[in-house]
Amino acid sequence: MDFTLSDEQHLLRDTARTLLAKECPTALVRAHIDDPTVAEPLWDRLRDFSALGDGLLTDLCLFTTETGYVAAPGPFFATAGLFAPLLAALGDERLPAVLAGETSGTVAIAGSSGVWDPNDETVKCFVPEADRVDWIAVVDAGPTVRVVPAAETPTRLVETVDWSRRLFEVDTAAASTVPRRLNGAALDQVLRRATVALAAEMVGTARRIFDMTLEYAKERKQFDVPIGSFQAIQHKLADVSLAIERADSAAQYAAMTLDARDADAPRATHVAKAAAGNAATRGAKDGIQIHGGIGYTWEHDLHLFIRRAYGSEYWLGTTAWHHDRLAELLFD
Amino acid sequence: MRLSFGPEVEDFRAELIMFLDEHAPAEMLRGFDMMDTGAEERDQVIPDWAREWQATLFDHGWMIPAYPPDLGGRDATPIQTLVYLEEMARRRILRSLHFPGYAIVAPSLIEFGNAEQQALVRPAIRGDTVWCIGMSEPNAGSDLAGLQTRAVLDGDRFIVNGQKVWTSYAMVAQKCFVYVRTDPGVPKHKGISLLIVDMDTPGVDVRPLRHISGAANFAEVFFTDVEVPAANLVGALNDGWRITQGSLAHERAGLWVEGVSRLEATVRSLADMVRRRGLAGDAGVRRRIAEMYEEAASLRALGYKGFAGFAQGSSAPEHSYMKMATSELGKAAYELGMELQGPYGATRDPERGEEQGRWVNMFFMSFANTIAGGSSEIQRNIIAQRVLGLPRA
Repeated sequence: MDFTLSDEQHLLRDTARTLLAKECPTALVRAHIDDPTVAEPLWDRLRDFSALGDGLLTDLCLFTTETGYVAAPGPFFATAGLFAPLLAALGDERLPAVLAGETSGTVAIAGSSGVWDPNDETVKCFVPEADRVDWIAVVDAGPTVRVVPAAETPTRLVETVDWSRRLFEVDTAAASTVPRRLNGAALDQVLRRATVALAAEMVGTARRIFDMTLEYAKERKQFDVPIGSFQAIQHKLADVSLAIERADSAAQYAAMTLDARDADAPRATHVAKAAAGNAATRGAKDGIQIHGGIGYTWEHDLHLFIRRAYGSEYWLGTTAWHHDRLAELLFD
Repeated sequence: MRLSFGPEVEDFRAELIMFLDEHAPAEMLRGFDMMDTGAEERDQVIPDWAREWQATLFDHGWMIPAYPPDLGGRDATPIQTLVYLEEMARRRILRSLHFPGYAIVAPSLIEFGNAEQQALVRPAIRGDTVWCIGMSEPNAGSDLAGLQTRAVLDGDRFIVNGQKVWTSYAMVAQKCFVYVRTDPGVPKHKGISLLIVDMDTPGVDVRPLRHISGAANFAEVFFTDVEVPAANLVGALNDGWRITQGSLAHERAGLWVEGVSRLEATVRSLADMVRRRGLAGDAGVRRRIAEMYEEAASLRALGYKGFAGFAQGSSAPEHSYMKMATSELGKAAYELGMELQGPYGATRDPERGEEQGRWVNMFFMSFANTIAGGSSEIQRNIIAQRVLGLPRA
């Protein structure tokens, strides 16, 4: 397999990195805690990239790694990572407007169990950004899909540790749109895409925590030397950097298998999310530990990314859940 | 990014597969174990079929594909070399049962040897000469530059005194790359030289060391007033440290494919054992196998990503990651293989337990991988200091 990025992919990554560094500073992520509308100007820039939702997953993943690096709030992931591929699988007429960045959406599947399997419950859980998108695609048992206007659908914010990605319970009982049938395998493909895009995003978040921690280890002096000269710290950082490199490679590989509709894609998807979960949570824990007391404060920006890392670990399947699904593919 | 390489690379793969189907020795294809011949007899450390196989590879340009035809290769590109290593590892075929000659001596002599020494390269790669490497000493392990074996120039010869240890293949080797201290009065890295020593020189004494598995394929080597021609100096006097850096880098550069493939095969064997022992419904066991699968699969991806960077000219730090991770995970996998056998985990009895003690034997042997060639702790130091840019203590 060939991991070489094309010139266009280098350009996409560099463009995303530059744009997000400017448009999504930590001050924005922080202000967004109390007032989600402050992320509107960011969405006005990111909506131009919505077409990534129906292109190569490898490209989308390059982009989400960068949104993860800045813990970008707003409906980009919901729209490009979930809604657009679902509309594409349905052959829905709204897709062109979504890809053009003119409209946004999210997807509601999980019932009270929190597992993203189609079900008949009317209240759907863990729906991202349900109060600031135009459409909600509700997937029920069958699977069938109702695409309903978000403004007419009651939502309730479910507080998690991560304020940068807002998750909702959505009451779909009154949504009277005629359901459309969706192929089950097509839904699996949509969810795998989203899972791998999230894994790539988590790699970005893990990298941010790691970069902050590495910089701190080089600057912070104790016993008259930088703490990064101590082997106890060096070996922790070496292990975390390995976890991140593994996760990054696993996400890229999984994206390649999904783009190629390769038979390894189901396994590679679980591997990618589990490896990303490992990297993100391990990096988060060691990141706080190496920062010491300052990493544990509200003032320091580190917690913004620690929160995103843990929020992501528990969304679209935990590491353990993906290991168990992987075991089913290996043993059953 | 794409899953396969271009047609010119796949043609290369097809040609290799044809060659392997025709020539690979039956002993190898029967599943010859990569870790250890298990042989205690001197003449079986490198069996005849393995010597013939290495020569056949060389003669057909498949020994080191990146080298020119007169050195056992075919001027292969880096991607073709990777494909070669992939196919060999996938079939669990080794090039050679003695790596020092082709993997360390040959590249070092090509870079640093004089015209006369260049003549040693061909037989080293073909396996006609068996080499050993005199690096580690009782007081110079991870701190290799602390080596104390002395060589004193006396006219047209060096007089060598000292001791090497963990010297693989010393009991069957004809020649040895011996790192010696030639100037004790300067900082330790600056007083080291490299000598070629014939193992039958008077004063060279080889004492085989049994290791924990019971086999003896490494040794202590004692040097007592050994006379070595001055012409056997490789590179410049007191410039030997540079050569150690080069040879170890070469050793690390291509080994990840083999390490990962072995790991994946081990995880598959674990899953087979789980089914055989009726544990496939045990949620805890299933999750642990899945975790191992995840680690092995993501390491393969990391190897390929590192290769893509390497092929484009970056320094590819992934090799230190891969060395550390595959060896550590291998050790954990073998131990899990013991654990899955419950009270029979430490059994080596042919009538009881799994595969005649394969798992406990491999577990013991796997420590070689986390210690030799730069221990896991040294790999972490390298990652921290050279990749992450952290300051030395």
